[in-house]
Amino acid sequence: MAAKNVLGMIFSNAYDEALPELTALRTMGSIPFAGRYRLIDFPLSNMVNAGIQKVGVITKSNYRSLMDHIGNGKAWDLSRKREGMTILPPYNSTETGAFKDKVDSLYGSIDYLRHADKDLVLCTDCNVVSTIDYDAIIKAHTASNADVTLAYTNGIPPKMRAATELVMDAQGKVTACRGIDCYSSAISYSLKIMVISRTLLERLLHEAHSAGQTSFEQIIASNLQFLNVYGYEVGGFVRVLSSLGSYYEANLALLDRANRNLLFDPERPVFTKVRDEVPAVYGLNARVSNSLIADGCKIEGEVENSILFRGVTVAKGAKIKDSILMQNTYIGENVSLASVILDKSVVVKPNKMLCGAQNYPVYVGKGIVI
Amino acid sequence: MAIKPECIAMLLAGGQGSRLGILTKSIAKPAVPYGGKYRIIDFPLSNCVNSGIDTVGVLTQYQPLELNDYIGNGQSWDLDRANGGVHILSPYQQIKGTEWYKGTANAIYQNINFIERYDPEYVLILSGDHIYKMDYSKMLDYHKEKNADCTIAMLEVPWEEASRFGLMLVNEDGSISEFEEKPKNPRSNKASMGVYIFTWEKLRAYLIADEAKEGSSNDFGHDVIPAMHEAGERMFAYQFDGYWKDVGTINSLWDANLDLLNPKVDLDLNDDSWKIYSKSPTAPPHYIGSAAKVENSMITEGCEIEGNIDFSVLFANVTVEEGAEVRYSIVMPGTVIKKGAVVQYAIVAEDAVIEPGAVVGESPENMADINDWGVAVVGNGVTVGKGAKVAPKAMVDTDIGGAE
Repeated sequence: MAAKNVLGMIFSNAYDEALPELTALRTMGSIPFAGRYRLIDFPLSNMVNAGIQKVGVITKSNYRSLMDHIGNGKAWDLSRKREGMTILPPYNSTETGAFKDKVDSLYGSIDYLRHADKDLVLCTDCNVVSTIDYDAIIKAHTASNADVTLAYTNGIPPKMRAATELVMDAQGKVTACRGIDCYSSAISYSLKIMVISRTLLERLLHEAHSAGQTSFEQIIASNLQFLNVYGYEVGGFVRVLSSLGSYYEANLALLDRANRNLLFDPERPVFTKVRDEVPAVYGLNARVSNSLIADGCKIEGEVENSILFRGVTVAKGAKIKDSILMQNTYIGENVSLASVILDKSVVVKPNKMLCGAQNYPVYVGKGIVI
Repeated sequence: MAIKPECIAMLLAGGQGSRLGILTKSIAKPAVPYGGKYRIIDFPLSNCVNSGIDTVGVLTQYQPLELNDYIGNGQSWDLDRANGGVHILSPYQQIKGTEWYKGTANAIYQNINFIERYDPEYVLILSGDHIYKMDYSKMLDYHKEKNADCTIAMLEVPWEEASRFGLMLVNEDGSISEFEEKPKNPRSNKASMGVYIFTWEKLRAYLIADEAKEGSSNDFGHDVIPAMHEAGERMFAYQFDGYWKDVGTINSLWDANLDLLNPKVDLDLNDDSWKIYSKSPTAPPHYIGSAAKVENSMITEGCEIEGNIDFSVLFANVTVEEGAEVRYSIVMPGTVIKKGAVVQYAIVAEDAVIEPGAVVGESPENMADINDWGVAVVGNGVTVGKGAKVAPKAMVDTDIGGAE
């Protein structure tokens, strides 16, 4: 398997600022998603399903929830004597401090890269939700004799910092990377998933570090004429989380069976931490339609077009519509909720009403009692 | 040397559970699925871990493949330990020949060497047939406090059912004065739960003596415990009050599952201080469709529900299509119930397919003679054809063709 020779690197904090509400107390990688997952489950499971056996997870801040979630990597079979998963928190030396950006954080982990004993490195962020066949990207990279392969998808690009359009020739060779100024038509935009040879990565990092460059994407873009950079198109269910609105949309999109079948392919399971919850229990007058419900939920009210994470309680007479309720939220009797996102352990006391709009969901922070 | 365990557990998991019929055709009884995401053996194993007993021998004999696979290294129950942990103990070849486990006592006798390796003070003997949550450490405290040689967990059963159990007559100080095995006219309603704590030194001597005795059936209930009682050893009963159910028959397995839907039944699986651990499937949350109606039921990960579910327990990855009805039933992992099919008062095992319009089981109210009624059972991987019928009480373990 080609992937045996690949080191996986995951940036758990990249684009934290795109979702300030959800990352106030956690990393991008530990944002809850789709009822029982955290965002890092998708790249980690993609790596494991491709046969990648050595993975470094780079973090810089708020990473307690991330460490709690991934632990020693057991849930992904990455708790190994040989290889396995390593968390790479900021490493203070005279030259590096708290990681400011990707170049900094990769440079801070350069010893880890060097000692990984792999020819290729696959780098990814956590804000792309998709079941991607990394093995196919690695094979394409080798087949095209590329220096760098960038994964992209075709569609309306996300509105976020450093979004990049890839311009390619007929062979898929990238001829230009450019910023995006139009968000109304479909283009090929980068998913910031990259396969690169380890020695080239090290060299580019040394150069960038001494030149004071901070954006890794820019280094690639400015070296296009010297490097063989190829694009690899990713299809299927792809969502780039760039705002609270896109987070809301990406979750609710999974109520569509076609999307669910694309993201949850039984051949490529998405692994996550086990919580040992009981199955969900439906009470006498429960009315649930078009919703995803996780284990540990207790439902006696009405739930429609919503996603309930593990351990949510919905009391009698409560009505929930178009909402995302995270782990252990408690909804009291006769509460009415529409278009809301409740973070973990929120309590809504009886008879309260909370209503957002479909294009602007109301967000309630972790542990708040209403 | 690591810390020596005070008490280790030996879990008898070799039984076939023949009264469960086709459900135990290819798996041992302790591996039978229960409660949406558990297997019966999760209960004694979780009880052990929660009680602080971290060395458990699991004695297997009948169809052990699935059970061995399920237990693995014990990680699901935190029993993957450097010192202790869970050990699968199958019969093995010895210099004097090979022997199957002849009885419960003989199974322990054949593993005396295993127990000696840990050199415990006490041994807890469990079976893998019951659904209950119990703190064995309290029972051990009682055993020590009474300075007992053998303590038997007992619970009070309804008098009218007492004659189905092994009963004990108990003195005021908790000591046992007499045993009665399934008597016609019970004098007590204190039934043995099949949970024993022995002081190891004593048990060891009695096991060796029992093995040497000719004509012995090498069974705890029949031989070892009566022998200890006769010899005047200190035998005590430890009262348990809580939910306890033997799931040895189709009806009791069905009942025990539906008990989970009854808020009056004292079996809380959601108690954080006493979790029941299991090996979880890797599946997304379950989906309830727009046309679905789900009430009074338990549903777990990976299910796709478009039909109507009432008073039922659904295991992982079950699909129920639009217009299908599932009532008072247990549906095990991976089964598909197609459009317009009806599953009622039934247990459907793993990966079965119920084709459109098929009817499995019958409501007791619709029976001309209630004695003909019983829970219908569809075996592993069986297809019930289009419009076909499975009668109440029937057990189906081969495909049934369509009704056309």
